[in-house]
Amino acid sequence: MTTESDARDELIDLAADFYDQFAAGDIPEMTLPTRTKSNIEYDTESGVWTYGDRTSTRSANSVRGARKLLKAAYTIEFLADQLDEDRSSTLRELYYLSESWDNDEAQFSSQDESNDLVEDLEIVTGVTREDFHMRPEESGATLMGPLLIREQTRRGEREIHCQEDVGAGGYQIPNNPDMIDFLDDDIDFALAVETGGMRDRLVENGFDEEYNCLVIHLKGQPARATRRITKRVHDELDVPIAVFADGDPWSYRIYGSVAYGSIKSAHLSKYLATPQAEFVGIQPEDIVEYDLPADPLSDSDVNALESELDDPRFQTDYWEEQIELQLDIGKKSEQQSLASRGLDFVTDTYLPERLDAMGVI
Amino acid sequence: MTSFQSTIGDEEGIAEELAEGQREISIAEFFEKNKHMLGFDSGARGLVTAVKEAVDNALDATEEAGYLPDIYIEIEEVGDYYRLVIEDNGPGITKEQLPKVFGKLLYGSRFHAREQSRGQQGIGISAAVLYSQLTSGQPAKITSRPKGQSRAQYFELIIDTDTNEPEIQADEETTWDRPHGTRIELEMEANMRARQQLHDYVKHTAVVNPHARLELREPGLDEPLKFERATDELPAETKEIRPHPHGVELGALIKMLEATESYSVSGFLQEEFTRVGKKTADSVIDNFRDVYYGRELAWSPPRAHDDRDVAGAVADAVANKGAEATTAFAEGVAETVANNDRISRSELAAIVDNVAETVEGDTGKTFGGTVRENAVDAAWGAITGVGGDEAADSDESDDDSESAEESPLVSDAYALVDDATSTRKDDAAVRAMAEALTRRFENLDGDAFRITLDDLERLVADAASFVAEQRDATFGETARENVVEAFWSRARTVPDDPPKVKAIAGSRDAAADLLDAMRTTDILAPPTDCLAPITAELVEAGLRKEYDADFYAAASRDAEVHGGDPFIVEAGIAYGGEIPAEGSVELLRFANRVPLVYQRGACATTDVIKNIGWRNYGLDQPGGSGLPNGPAVISIHVASTNVPFTSESKDALANVPAIEDEIELAVREAARELKSFLNKRRSMQQRREKQDVLGRILPEMADKVSEVTGRSRPDIDGALARIMNNVSVEREVNGETVTLVVENHSDVNEELEITDIVSTEPTDLSDGTVVDMDGEWFVQWKPEVPSGDERELTYAIDGDADFEVSVGGVETEKLTVNA
Repeated sequence: MTTESDARDELIDLAADFYDQFAAGDIPEMTLPTRTKSNIEYDTESGVWTYGDRTSTRSANSVRGARKLLKAAYTIEFLADQLDEDRSSTLRELYYLSESWDNDEAQFSSQDESNDLVEDLEIVTGVTREDFHMRPEESGATLMGPLLIREQTRRGEREIHCQEDVGAGGYQIPNNPDMIDFLDDDIDFALAVETGGMRDRLVENGFDEEYNCLVIHLKGQPARATRRITKRVHDELDVPIAVFADGDPWSYRIYGSVAYGSIKSAHLSKYLATPQAEFVGIQPEDIVEYDLPADPLSDSDVNALESELDDPRFQTDYWEEQIELQLDIGKKSEQQSLASRGLDFVTDTYLPERLDAMGVI
Repeated sequence: MTSFQSTIGDEEGIAEELAEGQREISIAEFFEKNKHMLGFDSGARGLVTAVKEAVDNALDATEEAGYLPDIYIEIEEVGDYYRLVIEDNGPGITKEQLPKVFGKLLYGSRFHAREQSRGQQGIGISAAVLYSQLTSGQPAKITSRPKGQSRAQYFELIIDTDTNEPEIQADEETTWDRPHGTRIELEMEANMRARQQLHDYVKHTAVVNPHARLELREPGLDEPLKFERATDELPAETKEIRPHPHGVELGALIKMLEATESYSVSGFLQEEFTRVGKKTADSVIDNFRDVYYGRELAWSPPRAHDDRDVAGAVADAVANKGAEATTAFAEGVAETVANNDRISRSELAAIVDNVAETVEGDTGKTFGGTVRENAVDAAWGAITGVGGDEAADSDESDDDSESAEESPLVSDAYALVDDATSTRKDDAAVRAMAEALTRRFENLDGDAFRITLDDLERLVADAASFVAEQRDATFGETARENVVEAFWSRARTVPDDPPKVKAIAGSRDAAADLLDAMRTTDILAPPTDCLAPITAELVEAGLRKEYDADFYAAASRDAEVHGGDPFIVEAGIAYGGEIPAEGSVELLRFANRVPLVYQRGACATTDVIKNIGWRNYGLDQPGGSGLPNGPAVISIHVASTNVPFTSESKDALANVPAIEDEIELAVREAARELKSFLNKRRSMQQRREKQDVLGRILPEMADKVSEVTGRSRPDIDGALARIMNNVSVEREVNGETVTLVVENHSDVNEELEITDIVSTEPTDLSDGTVVDMDGEWFVQWKPEVPSGDERELTYAIDGDADFEVSVGGVETEKLTVNA
């Protein structure tokens, strides 16, 4: 990845590209990898999924394309100025800030548009959003476990133990997890948990203490910071990562983005994805084996499962078997359904059995 | 009727009483009471109708005389009345004719002519005169000056409503500044509530008569409305045609039969009808014979194994001619008969005549009429088993029928019936049918088996119901039709001469048969030189003249025929420009160049327009049917020798499918052009919009990137031209060399016309031409630049110069000039 000082130069270079295209009498354009499911490829070297060779072009040839590029020029100016002044802003602030630009055509019509544009700029310049000093509105999730870190904050350095120095809520992951240094740990493995309810259950039952486990709260589809810290925990502390989510197609995608990278940010997969992460459950197999209370699959669930069968990230024997089984039984279960066997079932029975079977403990 | 009943009722006096009240009604009186039938139902409409009638007459008169119409219409308020003046530059009307033309209803030159003209009944203008005198009490004041006369004739006249004759109140010579023409002045009770219709009528008349000059003055106008000519070409002169055989009705036919000087039917047909020559006349007459006389059923002659001996029968019938001649004659007849597949009695008679002549020539014996007749009777008896000897030997024949020796006709009939009906028919039923038919044929009058198609159908139906009763075997409609067809197609048209014209004229039935024959004969469509279409070119010119639009299209169809009358449909469309965009389109309807003003909703043209899916052609049509909306004028012209109107006031076209089809095709033809115009305009508009937006965005983007990079603003014209698929013309001045670079970024080849105006004298031109114009030099090139290619146009100058370039040959939307 680039250093922060490079970020501004990369942006100016992009503007210079546009300038040169104009000067040469060419139509300004910006070429990006096509960001669709069909254009992600497995990178054998790193074990993650990244964009393939197909590209699409944002060209000033059309009114739509010209507007996009105009907005890009304005955003480049804004980001360059922000880096100059060493300030930061959120994606949402960028959206509102565009209202103050002198040009109506350059203003964003929705936040999705500004988010997409920032991602485009990341891809073209090879600089991450964090290095542009752009952060999401909602910050990353939380950590709980035997880990001592040092965080570089605007108000100075802080040393925090993620079990002893934090409340029941745990340690809040900052927007740019690269500002953290790992100092010491007593972690055997990390467990990334989808829902807040299950995280609280594990903490209440003392699972992290009992198994020397770092509980990472994913908060649904994990933010980049969460995925980045997960990868750092794995790479730097050399511990296995297990993902514990609901037993439905949407949760498999959560696992997918942790382990393989997401389609939207496939350009950052090498930086964000942890291909060694394993899926604990709830597996469709578990629904049968533990006879968990289940809901029938809705039409959109079935469509999502079928689309996952086509998704190159899920084309492994394990996933094909599980997804086909789920389509077969036509059921899905939440993590909390384990409570049907008692509140301690998950920490006393289910997780130890599953983690043992996976060779994590 | 009444009087007849009163005699029965034995009530004397009532009939007389009633008779006192019964008298002839003059046509003028009738009109007085039925003004609405001719379009004079209200003061407002009366005025429009009077103008219309007078203008129609004026146009017809001028065109016929070969003058370009110049018509002046003036409406003035005179106390409680309106005075209407119409002047034309027509040929004028002779002193003798004039009172009748204006002062007698149903007097005119058009009614009997089969030719496209505006007026037809000779009722219009005299009806206007009558309306004027009824409402104002004033006579019509008419001035007319035939060409070449030094003075004009002035009349004041009224119509005597009792006699339908003009009553002349003043008759004097006067002076008139027009060299020739007619002027009519009418005063009438009226109002101007129908001003819009009046204006429409005059304007629309100008649209379909682009060769006419019209001027309208009326109290509501500050300035007279003037409609100038768009062409000096008179409509093609129309030829009067004779009626087409498919277009006459029985009453008309009888009248023609009575009036003709022809003696024979053939002559009559060829003389009085169009498209009938000798050959067509013969086929009509053959069909007429079939209807009028019926055909003669033909039968199979005896075959070799048969015991019916034609030769023997003939020989027996001939006496005193000597053995040699008799044998030659008998065998000749028998041989010829046997050569025929089927034979009718008339054919047999012809054979006998032929053979008799031959044998007479060979032997010198004479075979007289009686001998021949006997021979025919005998041979016919031998062939068919009926005729002469049956009468002679009635006992024997009775025995025959009883001894079940069946008539030879039965087996013949059996073969035909069996062939004509389905194979599933029971053989016994078929035989029964053949027998029943044969019995009925034998009962026909005479022994020639002469029968009309109608009678044959009846006879077959009768036989079928007989068989159905006796045998419980049904012969359905199809089977009966097949049987009829089998016999009828094998029957022979009789050689009898058709009755003479006089005889047919005297017999309603015969005339009906002739009409039937005329209608069933295939005859060429009538010629179309009786029609004067406006032509697509002039339909468009007419619209162009009166509507300031962005687009015009017109279509003129080929002539078609309905009911013996040829017709041509033309359509035109004007779109955009000054035509109001709100509400539905304006529909102009014309019949024989006369605008139809009233009853739009009842008109076939309106129905056709409503049923076209206009969205397909780029016009807005709420609900997908009905009159479309938008800034468009659709004009439809139907020209015919007999335009079918829904009523006498000639306001709306009747729904005749053949005409409706043609209207639709004509309108669609013009609408297709409209569609491609609208498509092109839309894509040009999109291009303009794109150009507007990009022309705003890209400079801003260029500013921004130069700001961010800290460089000076880049030149973006090249990029713009490329984006717009444009043609760009750019000037480069390099010391003494001036270069105009023409780049074609569009996907088609472009031919440009470039003119560069230079303030000093250019030299060393790379082709092109230079013209000195008072110290300015016009350099001209006409480069052709292929798609994606570029051309450099250069010249040299000495020192500084001013330039001004203009570029033609490319749509301005596609052009970027930076020079």
